[in-house]
Amino acid sequence: MKKVLLVDDDVDFCEATKLLLESKGCEVVLAYDGKEGLEKTRAARPDLVILDVMMPEMNGYDVCVVLKADQKLKKIPVILLTAVDQALFKTTYTKTMGLMTEADDYIAKPVEPGELVRRVEDLLSKK
Amino acid sequence: MLIQPSINILVVENDITILQRCRELIIDEGHRVRTAECIEEALDIIQKQPGDVDIMLLSLELPGWGGMTLINTLQKARREILIMTMSDNCGEEAIEAMHAGAYDCIRKSFTTDRFWTKMNRAIEAFRLRRQLDILTRQRQAALTRVRHDENLFAILQSFPDGLVVTDWQTNIVLFNEKAGSLFDLTEEKASGHPISVSIKSDELLSFFIRAIKADSGLGRLMVGEEPVVKVGEKALRVHVYPVKNETGTVIGAAGLFHDVTTVSAMDKLKSDFLSMVSHELKSPLSSLLMQISVVLDGLAGDLTAKQSDLLAKAKEKTKGMITLVNDILDYRRIQEGKSIQKIESLDLAEILKRTIELMHLSAEEKGLSLTCEIAEELPSFSGDRGGMEAIFVNLISNAIKYTLRGGNVNVTLNKAGKDIGFKVVDNGIGILPEDIDRIFEKFYRIKTEQTRSISGSGLGLSIVKGIVDAHNSAIHVESEVGKGTTFVVSLPAETG
Repeated sequence: MKKVLLVDDDVDFCEATKLLLESKGCEVVLAYDGKEGLEKTRAARPDLVILDVMMPEMNGYDVCVVLKADQKLKKIPVILLTAVDQALFKTTYTKTMGLMTEADDYIAKPVEPGELVRRVEDLLSKK
Repeated sequence: MLIQPSINILVVENDITILQRCRELIIDEGHRVRTAECIEEALDIIQKQPGDVDIMLLSLELPGWGGMTLINTLQKARREILIMTMSDNCGEEAIEAMHAGAYDCIRKSFTTDRFWTKMNRAIEAFRLRRQLDILTRQRQAALTRVRHDENLFAILQSFPDGLVVTDWQTNIVLFNEKAGSLFDLTEEKASGHPISVSIKSDELLSFFIRAIKADSGLGRLMVGEEPVVKVGEKALRVHVYPVKNETGTVIGAAGLFHDVTTVSAMDKLKSDFLSMVSHELKSPLSSLLMQISVVLDGLAGDLTAKQSDLLAKAKEKTKGMITLVNDILDYRRIQEGKSIQKIESLDLAEILKRTIELMHLSAEEKGLSLTCEIAEELPSFSGDRGGMEAIFVNLISNAIKYTLRGGNVNVTLNKAGKDIGFKVVDNGIGILPEDIDRIFEKFYRIKTEQTRSISGSGLGLSIVKGIVDAHNSAIHVESEVGKGTTFVVSLPAETG
């Protein structure tokens, strides 16, 4: 069974998404801030990490940078989620290309459930 | 043959033999001649009767005060006199003189033929120069005439907005009181001088140049509607347009400046507030959508048919709210002139393919066939990526929304003359003729029995229109009720 780590400070979103991904046959581990997300990535070694960008403690970009700089963890695919409006996000995306391309995919919030499942399955099947 | 008026030539030479020879040659040819044997004498003639000298034939080997100094002095004082130099060898000094503004140099050992070859060229140049001067003055006169019409000038003076008029070389010919106070213009400093001297804004300068060259195609630059320009502390809404004479020739440009300093501060507050609220709405909506979807999919236990039905409606409403929030953000950006974030070379085919991939799901859900044809070789196009995505997404999702189950939506992208044509054809419910003119208005939604269940913000098409305008593109709609609708966007391909 594939293990997915979902890191988001919105508990409601986490719980609902957990149910959704479990229905697709994934094991889902939850973390509610960036630091916890990083710790759980190290401890649980998920097959995929879904990272919200705007979180307390450590934001999603920073978590992604640390993950991708770690030789042992950098192969784990990362999807970034953001509620920042899409165009703004794309500009930030281009500006910080070096940093952002390290994430394997990005999805703008509000996330369409079907879309999330499709992207998750895509990345998991590539591995 | 056209008889040209004779030319007044002043010969300045201390070698009497050469002086006499020049004099005879010029008289033979029917032009008028005056002579001077030294600089002082030449200056005296020029100062006393400036109009009597068109061309000055000046020796570079005059004793005392050298010819070079005279050229410099003359260039500053009387630009309209064309200077020809004469020298023994036409060497360094002649070249230097030409740098200083002399037209050419004649060797003093000239033959008659040689003399006239060079002199005729100089005469021709002088006539051209004079014609240009006359034209310039005529064009300027046309614009400054307003100043002499007291009533008209009074109207302009009491204009609440700033007005600056330039000739076609961007020299200020007229400005009203308000413009004077906005830009700190004074009659002496500003009038007759290039606008760039008194108004330090490259952006404004570019608007004037573009207005003047509007006919030459340079005007085809991307602009948001009515740009707001910051000049010093002030925010000005600017509108610059070409001024044409009766024959349609552009003789200058006029700029209107509306002070929006206070308004734009309010606008910013409003838009920051809107932006914050929208972002704050997005997170909970995201959770809500996920929660409803999960329950609806039976992942939290079985549902009765009635529960499913209610939840499906709740999900639709949630999606509608998400679209609304996104549209408000998009619309705000367009209003702020930010619809174009970055102009770059784009692969439209690739962007459209990705959009179609995204839309397939919603087409399938509705039981529609979504087909797409993209031409193999498309001309290159530069624009804003986000903007193009928004055009594609909005038009395609509209087609899906307003087409009934079992219908078709066909998307094509191909070369259409000089442009790239993006076309969305559906066989949906269509639009009434009386609604067609209004569909691009913001918050306009067509209310019929059929559209009542369709959610939307009424902003999608006004967003599309905003982006289309900002890209100097065009959008057309054709529709027949019950038959379907076709939207065509023509995007200008890059030339050259």
